[in-house]
Amino acid sequence: MAATPASVTEQSSGPDLENEGLLDTSVLSELAKKDLVDALNSVNGAKTLVLDPSIASPLGLVTEVSLLKHHGVDKMFWLEPGPLSATSTNIVYLCRPSIRHVKIIADHVKRHAKESAKHTYTLLLVPRTSILVERILEEEGVLGEVNISSYNLQFIPIARDVISLEYDNAFKEIWADGDESAIYESAQALLTLRKIYGPFPRIIGKGDHAAVYRALLPSSNVSPRVAALAGGDKIDSLIILDRRVDMVTPLLTQLTYEGLIDEMIGIKNSHIEVPVSLLSPPNPTPANPAAPSTSASTSAVTAVPLSKEKKKKYHLTAANDPLFGELRDMNFASVGKRLNRTAHRLDEDYKARLKAQTVTQLRDFVGKLGGLQTEHQALRLHTGLSEMIVPQTRTEIFNKSLEIQQNLLASYDVSGQISSIEDLIAQGADMQLVIRLLCLASITSGGIKTKPLENLKREILQSYGYNFLPLLLSLSAPPLAVLLPNPLPASTPPSVVASRYPYTSVRKSLRLLMEDTDALDEVENDIGYVYSGYAPISIRLVQCVAQKGGVLSNPALDKEKSADSGSGNGNASSKVQAHPIVGWKGFEDVLAAIPGETFDIFPKDYAGHEDATSPATSLLQARNQTSTTVVFFLGGCTYTEIAALRWVSRQNKGRNFLIATTGIISGNSLVDSVAGIVRGSTGSKDAGL
Amino acid sequence: MPDHPTSSWQAMQDGNVFYRRQQLYSIAGKLPNLDDYKIAACRYGGPLALMRDNDKLVALGRATPVFAKAQIQVYSPAGEGLLLFSWEQAKIVHFGWTGDERLVVLNDEGTYRIYDLQGEYDQYSLGSDVAEIGVEDAKIHENGLVALTNSLTFLEVKGWSGGKPLTLANPGLSQPPHSWVVIPPDLTISRHVEVLASVEGTIYSVDTLESTDQRLSRGPFTHMAPSPNGKSLALLNFSGLLLVVSTDFQRNLAEFDTSEVPGSEGQIRQVQWCGNDAILVTWDNLALMVGPFGDTLQFFYSGPTYAVTEVDGVRVVGPDVCDFIQKVPASSTSVFRPGSTSPSAILYDAWENFAKRSPKADESIRSIRPELGRAVDECIDAAGQEWEPYWQRRLLNAAKFGRSFLDLYDPTDFVNMGQALKVLNAVRDFEIGIPITYTQYVHASPTQLVARLTARNLHLLALRISTYLSLKPDHVLKHWACAKILRSKPSTTGTEFEGDNEVCKMIVDKFAKLGGGGVSYADIAKKAWEVGRTSLATKLLDYEPRASDQVPLLLSMKEDRLALTKAVDSGDPDLVYHVLLHLHKSMSLGSFFRLIEDGGERLAPASRLLQVYAREQNRDMLRDFYYSDDRRVESAVLSLEEAGSMTDPTAKINAVKAAQKFFSEDKDRGFEARMMDESARLLVAQQQLEKDADGKIPFFGLSVNKTIETCLLNGMSKKADKIKSDCKVPDKRFWYIKLHALTATRDFEGLETFAKSKRSPIGYEAFVHHLVEKGHGKEAATYVARCDASKRVDLYVECGEWRMAGKECKDRGDKARMDQLRRTCPNSLIARELEQIAASMK
Repeated sequence: MAATPASVTEQSSGPDLENEGLLDTSVLSELAKKDLVDALNSVNGAKTLVLDPSIASPLGLVTEVSLLKHHGVDKMFWLEPGPLSATSTNIVYLCRPSIRHVKIIADHVKRHAKESAKHTYTLLLVPRTSILVERILEEEGVLGEVNISSYNLQFIPIARDVISLEYDNAFKEIWADGDESAIYESAQALLTLRKIYGPFPRIIGKGDHAAVYRALLPSSNVSPRVAALAGGDKIDSLIILDRRVDMVTPLLTQLTYEGLIDEMIGIKNSHIEVPVSLLSPPNPTPANPAAPSTSASTSAVTAVPLSKEKKKKYHLTAANDPLFGELRDMNFASVGKRLNRTAHRLDEDYKARLKAQTVTQLRDFVGKLGGLQTEHQALRLHTGLSEMIVPQTRTEIFNKSLEIQQNLLASYDVSGQISSIEDLIAQGADMQLVIRLLCLASITSGGIKTKPLENLKREILQSYGYNFLPLLLSLSAPPLAVLLPNPLPASTPPSVVASRYPYTSVRKSLRLLMEDTDALDEVENDIGYVYSGYAPISIRLVQCVAQKGGVLSNPALDKEKSADSGSGNGNASSKVQAHPIVGWKGFEDVLAAIPGETFDIFPKDYAGHEDATSPATSLLQARNQTSTTVVFFLGGCTYTEIAALRWVSRQNKGRNFLIATTGIISGNSLVDSVAGIVRGSTGSKDAGL
Repeated sequence: MPDHPTSSWQAMQDGNVFYRRQQLYSIAGKLPNLDDYKIAACRYGGPLALMRDNDKLVALGRATPVFAKAQIQVYSPAGEGLLLFSWEQAKIVHFGWTGDERLVVLNDEGTYRIYDLQGEYDQYSLGSDVAEIGVEDAKIHENGLVALTNSLTFLEVKGWSGGKPLTLANPGLSQPPHSWVVIPPDLTISRHVEVLASVEGTIYSVDTLESTDQRLSRGPFTHMAPSPNGKSLALLNFSGLLLVVSTDFQRNLAEFDTSEVPGSEGQIRQVQWCGNDAILVTWDNLALMVGPFGDTLQFFYSGPTYAVTEVDGVRVVGPDVCDFIQKVPASSTSVFRPGSTSPSAILYDAWENFAKRSPKADESIRSIRPELGRAVDECIDAAGQEWEPYWQRRLLNAAKFGRSFLDLYDPTDFVNMGQALKVLNAVRDFEIGIPITYTQYVHASPTQLVARLTARNLHLLALRISTYLSLKPDHVLKHWACAKILRSKPSTTGTEFEGDNEVCKMIVDKFAKLGGGGVSYADIAKKAWEVGRTSLATKLLDYEPRASDQVPLLLSMKEDRLALTKAVDSGDPDLVYHVLLHLHKSMSLGSFFRLIEDGGERLAPASRLLQVYAREQNRDMLRDFYYSDDRRVESAVLSLEEAGSMTDPTAKINAVKAAQKFFSEDKDRGFEARMMDESARLLVAQQQLEKDADGKIPFFGLSVNKTIETCLLNGMSKKADKIKSDCKVPDKRFWYIKLHALTATRDFEGLETFAKSKRSPIGYEAFVHHLVEKGHGKEAATYVARCDASKRVDLYVECGEWRMAGKECKDRGDKARMDQLRRTCPNSLIARELEQIAASMK
């Protein structure tokens, strides 16, 4: 609610100079909130809300329970199989239009009819109504009982510069099932974005599925000029990348702080489950007062009981946790140092109390105390999280897997890596990890030799269960095709042959691996720092459009002196003005080599209004104003990619990135979703947000 | 020169407030005797619908035709007949108008039709339950209706697209209410419809949630009328007492006794609001206007009348005239009130003087100089309130005159008013017959006016007005095209083909010329198809850019394949499902599959969506689909998925075997087939194991690793070995499993024997690491000696055996390492020991 224009300008004029000119994404959450209220108010009186768990947490990002209560929701339940006992006449279901959900609802209706309980059912489908749902309700014979309506929940801001559709299964649906609903919904969401922030003057993209947008976007008859509510002409282009263009990156282990938390603990819709003790304020009689200064060896011991403690959901966001904002994009190697420094500073601040002599000084201190305590609390949390992560990063399997990854990326001794993977299986490594490494090996080396591949598959099936055979099949079947034998059998469909990834040539032309990995942790001088030496292909592709110099050489290396502090808040004058968007120019060859369609178009409706086609005008325009480039990841992106993009945006002035994605993914979540493993964390029947 | 505006004014309340009766049309002899009819009139100067009132006796004469069936006639306010249709169905209980000027007719079986002014209708029903019970009465408001069933409950229908009726709270009536009204949802606080019913002495207010007794005592009420803004309610009880209360029943606004009005004869016909502040009570020959403070004005008519409440007044249709009675608007009063000294009056006077070339003009203007802007605005507004173009022009001229004395003036209002008046005067013409006032026009929006003209087939006028007001002509064009198709018979001379081409070309050209970019060709094509001109429909449909509009029509035209292709091309999965599910229902399974399979790559997305749907909802169909398409792998996977959800062991094994069979039929899937064979054999073996363990240990469905582990944990090591050899588990993996299992059971002796059984394929470091990890540092230390010499020190440290580590250092003479050990050791005790060892090193 605090997103009044005044407070936003206040923020951007404050310490956060980098966010200047960034699009105000809070509009989106306001929109989502308003739509929800409207949808709820369309049903008169008290209502029971039945929530699809996969919607609950995204919904939690835009609204809070009190708002729902305020609009007549008096009880909430999860949408689960089994009976539903509601006290109010009105029952409102809020769910995605999946067949499973609809069947549960139909079951509820039938049960109630049998018990002759009289209810009015309203089904709010997210993001829109579907004929499929109607049909299934009809087949179940309850269509007449249910009012179907929709709640259009689209992009949700999960950080100031990241908006997400929070589709958990977009990747799997598109590439494993062939259900392209997510693409269509994304296109609709991008249209909404266009309505709010003005048109996309240029749409640049890569990937077969990304190309689908091209067909979708200009066809609608929205007059963009009239529809622009905010922002004006700030968006200079939309870059669409489909996940298939860069399958390498998500398979690697993320090494930024946020990325590692996701890998190790798991971040779901910006929420993590952490032991309660990390969140509650320190006990009045602390048993272990020197928490930040405990050495690593003892922390390994304390971490064990911690993980057994009762878990609580915590919303991980930089908005109310500035420390997290600092830490999230750092390589985990430097997180400890930063924590240490913060601890020292905090200590100093506390000591100010001792220096306070006059009453006024004391009052000043007390005034600051609240802030100090929140900071203290944040520090506790992040130290605790780091302590949970550190022991896991010391295990043999973890380090071995990192080694295999680095070797595979460098295409060094592939067959040796294959046998290392086999060893990992023998040692009982996680199935997800093994599959990730195997796919990585297949992509980077253009397929695994048939014999070792079959052997490995057999190992996997025997170790983890034969029920993973469908997983292996979908991984090797088109359109995914990330686990291929080499040479390909004669009967392989041509689409698979065409989709083989020219990794070695891409590695050279996009400078994916960094030479001087020694100084890397310190300087963070290229986007590769997020993977300790490997630059994500996806972000390199974005750089091909938006920061061409960055692909060829380290921009930070040239001005190392000015960036010596490493605080990222370097002198603005030392930054280079971002060059205007001129499409893929200069990298056409690389792009042609990567499978998937490449495109670069000027939507008709925009070109009619202005000479955006001529580079000269856009060059003039871009001279001194800040523009935003929207980068959309179809199929999800990782936290490391976000971190890398933020890094890119810090290097130049005059360009911000707005990262839009179908959801946040990690290698594990990808493997899980393709394998059909559902990780539910719903405990009680009563739902909360 | 038409009469001065004030000639139609009548004063009320000490001459401060005026009401005026404006004669709109003279309709002598055009309408039948209104007393014999049930009447419904549409707001905003809309038409009247009349139906013979069967409760009344009619003298049978030459002038009155005999109707065998119910017949509804629709007249424009100017008395022109617009539509006449007869009703074949059950008895009509109520009819009324929607907001967009369509007539809703509801019969006692709960069926209702919505007629447009061309006599085309959509038919809906309130459902079979209602048909059985029967409908007693209904009320229709602009966006829905409320029906009172014979079981005395209220049903609400929202919107006019055949929505499902919603039952309102049951007021528990024992007999039908004396009278009842509905307050439309957009006028209530809750934004949901509210029914007010007069029951015995009181009034019940009923909405979706509850029914409340308002505890009134002066009922029962014969007439009830909510004001146009929904805030007040006029009530008339049996004794002729008129009450005005707020709709929340918190305040009594006015009371008036109608029983003693002079000149009133017979029953009160109607109680209607005149705008929001006065009430019109009508008798057969008299209309009585009751003002807010009980003042009255009388209007006489030569026969029965019918009054229609409008937002700014009331329209009265009498036998000879159609009148509009309203409170004189503030701006008109200000300009024309006798003796008015307001700036606008002076401005108007100045202009008149100017026109007469009198110097007083300048003097007058000077005197109102500071308020001239306001005066101009008021004159413009007053112009809008006048009916006669003569006075409109004069007032606008006055405004223009005043404007010329202003330095800065935004002429937008002036221009808009000029335009609006031009439009209004055009539609007020008796041939068009829409007596809409400026206020109503603003209230209902110009678009709505254009739509109403279109609905009367007045395309040219509608189009001209749209262009004149720069509105989009899409709707008009669409309606025109549909009408065109209806009129143009397939030409008799040439072939039908030519005729179609001609019409299609004509429509497309017209659209291109007039910029109907947003027109949906699909709707027009649908019309063409409905009148049986399929080829014309197909041609028109080609021009439709939106697949979502194309597809449903294509489906109903049985262009299945084309529909599917278009749906796939649109990229909208919902549309694809729409087609798929439709086809699945209407075609035989075989031809349905063939259609999809023949589509090849083009229809691949449809095929995949079908699989997604079928996997959840219709597995049998999916199985058939895979089978008919020879998709062995998919069939196998499906079979496997089913196996995963099965609990019965035999069924599960059979499902796995089925999968194996499918794989083996594909020559490229030898590996998968082998694996499935292995899986099936394992399942059988597990069944046996469970039997051996007397069913105490669950084995069934475990992976190979887990099976071996479970065997080992339960001391069935022979069985474990057998599984190992059966499944050809490599040594390495087996050793890890056994290591983990033996550690878990703390069988360190067994572990020792196992370690010695042969050279470890995984080395002994793994032993140490694992044991340490599980907290068995001491046992781990025994394996350190078997590891690589170079690593032993570290391994000992890992085990926590500092002394051993120290000894190792000593053995190897590694002094540097020794020093490091001493630095890193955890306590002084060990440090001392290490020092001793270090000392002995020399």
